[in-house]
Amino acid sequence: MILFVLLFAQSAVDPAVVGAGERIFAQNCSVGYCHGAAGSAGRGPRLRGRAFEESYLLRVTRDGIPRSAMPAWKGRLSDREILAVVKYVASLSDATPEAAGTAPAAETIATAAAPAPPDQVQRGAALFFDATREAYCGACHALNGRGVAVGPDLTMVARKTPREIAAAMGNRRPEHVVTAHMKDGDSFPAIAVLRGSGSVKLLDLTTFPPVLRTFEPAEIESIATRAEWSHDSFLKGIGPEQMADLASYIRWIASGDSRSVSGDDLK
Amino acid sequence: MLWFAALFSCVGALAQTVADWPSYGGTPNAWRYSSLDQVNSANVTQLVAAWAFQTGISDGGFQTTPIVVDGVMYISTSWNRVFAVDAETGRELWHYFYPAPREIGMGSSPWNRGVAVAGGRVFMGTVDNHVVALDQKTGRELWNVNVEDFRQCGCNITGAPLVVNGKVITGVTGGDSAHRGYLTAFDARTGRRLWRFWTIPAPGEPGHETWEGDSWKFGGGSTWMTGSYDADLNAVYWGVGNPAADFYGDQRRGDNLYTDSIIALDPDTGNLKWHYQEIPHDVWDFDAAYECVLLDLPVRGQMRKVLLNVNKGGYAFVVDRVTGGFISGWPVARNLTWISGLDDYGRLLGRNEPEVGKSKLICPSIGGGRSWNQGTFSPRTGWFYTTGIEWCQDVTARKEEGKEGKDFFGGIFRLKAPPDGNPGGHLDAYDPITGKKFWTYESKYPLLASVLATGGDVIFTGDPEGRFFALNARTGERLWDFQTGSGNRGSPITYSVKGRQYVATPSGWGSAVAGILPQLWPETETFNGGSTLYVFALPKPPGASGSTAK
Repeated sequence: MILFVLLFAQSAVDPAVVGAGERIFAQNCSVGYCHGAAGSAGRGPRLRGRAFEESYLLRVTRDGIPRSAMPAWKGRLSDREILAVVKYVASLSDATPEAAGTAPAAETIATAAAPAPPDQVQRGAALFFDATREAYCGACHALNGRGVAVGPDLTMVARKTPREIAAAMGNRRPEHVVTAHMKDGDSFPAIAVLRGSGSVKLLDLTTFPPVLRTFEPAEIESIATRAEWSHDSFLKGIGPEQMADLASYIRWIASGDSRSVSGDDLK
Repeated sequence: MLWFAALFSCVGALAQTVADWPSYGGTPNAWRYSSLDQVNSANVTQLVAAWAFQTGISDGGFQTTPIVVDGVMYISTSWNRVFAVDAETGRELWHYFYPAPREIGMGSSPWNRGVAVAGGRVFMGTVDNHVVALDQKTGRELWNVNVEDFRQCGCNITGAPLVVNGKVITGVTGGDSAHRGYLTAFDARTGRRLWRFWTIPAPGEPGHETWEGDSWKFGGGSTWMTGSYDADLNAVYWGVGNPAADFYGDQRRGDNLYTDSIIALDPDTGNLKWHYQEIPHDVWDFDAAYECVLLDLPVRGQMRKVLLNVNKGGYAFVVDRVTGGFISGWPVARNLTWISGLDDYGRLLGRNEPEVGKSKLICPSIGGGRSWNQGTFSPRTGWFYTTGIEWCQDVTARKEEGKEGKDFFGGIFRLKAPPDGNPGGHLDAYDPITGKKFWTYESKYPLLASVLATGGDVIFTGDPEGRFFALNARTGERLWDFQTGSGNRGSPITYSVKGRQYVATPSGWGSAVAGILPQLWPETETFNGGSTLYVFALPKPPGASGSTAK
């Protein structure tokens, strides 16, 4: 809402704002196959010589266009930068309707800068999502909206103490893992995603990444709870210090607790 | 005489006429050739539409290669819809609509270039970087694996998988974002991962020294097209894309292996047999990701097993596919100013690199001296047929730092006409080893559909204005055309059902390259999208004699 107010507050064309928008556009929107240099078209549509309402430009720039290549720029660009881009794109068309308004441009847009997390938390976060590892936590666990929720969402787990977090990582009989025995003789550790009278969906945990498999009930011999399964293969090469880093990150996300975690805290 | 022997051996390998189009390249050697000859250069003028199939999904262009197995055609569209259609009548047998996530980021292109069919299953990579397996008879999903979180990686899968020995091998996009590329093999039955080959070596692995600092982590090297397979050598060949950032390379000094390389892998282990890098330290976005055409041909009097790959820089590279040794290289476009040429060892001469903060005219454009749409090899003429594009760009490099999964171009470009004349496209017939040109077919616009060669000496392809057309394979003479109503950006095929030969082509304008065309040809902006599969045949099947179809 505040952005819309600012949009019209700034509706008089300010060359400095348009100039800033041009620079931001060149660095973010012209790139690759997107809108082309100065909006001359690419994978995304041409923006030059077209009339857009600024409120529309603001909405699609900020929120993106679902099911299209247009991303949401909120969070990637500041509100002020988004506004500048909108003003610039609007300036690419002589036909852009002039909105009335003489209110002075807002001085600042309040975006409270979050304090940087401690180094240990940052190391833990980098490790949690380290795609250069053969298997990494974020490929199976969501945490605060990031990652893939195949296994339990860790935002709740995060309320536990570092020792409890370490114990969960070392658990060899996690409560949500079952063993699926198939009639063809195959059996594998799994998470049951859907069990009803129709198809059964099981996440096969044999290899990384897990595989969502769909079976007809007739294909399944039995499903046993409390399978033997562990994180061991994924934690290969992770020493006590890195375990502490992971625990500090997980705890920090949920509670904001930024105290450091040592290897002893995990024992 | 040797040449004749070579032809004979080529034909011998394909002596058995195949009614189907069972895999992406037609056969594992990626010739895009079918020996079906009921439709030939004498009667192609009589082709009529047999049926059409409307997919209803026109976003991003209809880029598929239809697959035909036992009289059933499998078609994929943007947003990962799959249709199984009776290949004789066009009647839908089943469809599968992938539940694509509603939020789609910059790195996610909605289009899909095809499925693979093997062992009673249909395999497809998805817009959000999953691989799915469907029951070939019903379309029911059997397994679904999330290869890597697309929100984090800025990557997905648009290319068709390659199935080898019960393994589903899939590539990944992401060469223009901060990402480290790979090929992954999954068990066709269970979906379990069997191996992964990273296209950028990790610390301690050979080739890692060709990357500076941490640049290897976000160095691109995508594998966005489909590889080939040689059963005799038990080798999978795959082309690897550009390093990231595309136009700015100062933060990744070195050759940047295995970007812009052909890699030969053991399909059972994923181990590297050899690599050949066409463009060391690419700063132009000139992927070597396109098709790997496998040919057995005489080279200076000696039979060789060779691999032909046309890269985005507009050069065809021919290498020995047993050893990876360079054999020859030749251009498929006239306006190539990014290098002055190749030396006798295939090394780049006279590199003309983009500069930071300074606009420079370089040819071809980022769209390539050729786009991904594949060429074809006919064993009957012994020629390789491929498109080429004449266009340039003003390009300015920009220092850029990679942020995981985000765009990582390192510069901007604007299309320009070539200084020596008009922009445009062409389709040419070449000697695959020497690059000697036998004929040229000129086109007003870049030709962005794949090329098909048949045993009837007919070459089929289509143009951005919607015309699907046939040329005489020996002369390049235009024999027939049909207005499909939307630009052609997919891959035509041919097949036979109950003794009748059909020619099928996707019609539907779109794609990244189609999107930048208006910079040079403003009228193309209003070219209509679409997504229709057209199928043609002769009015009546001729008598049994002379027909090789079955």
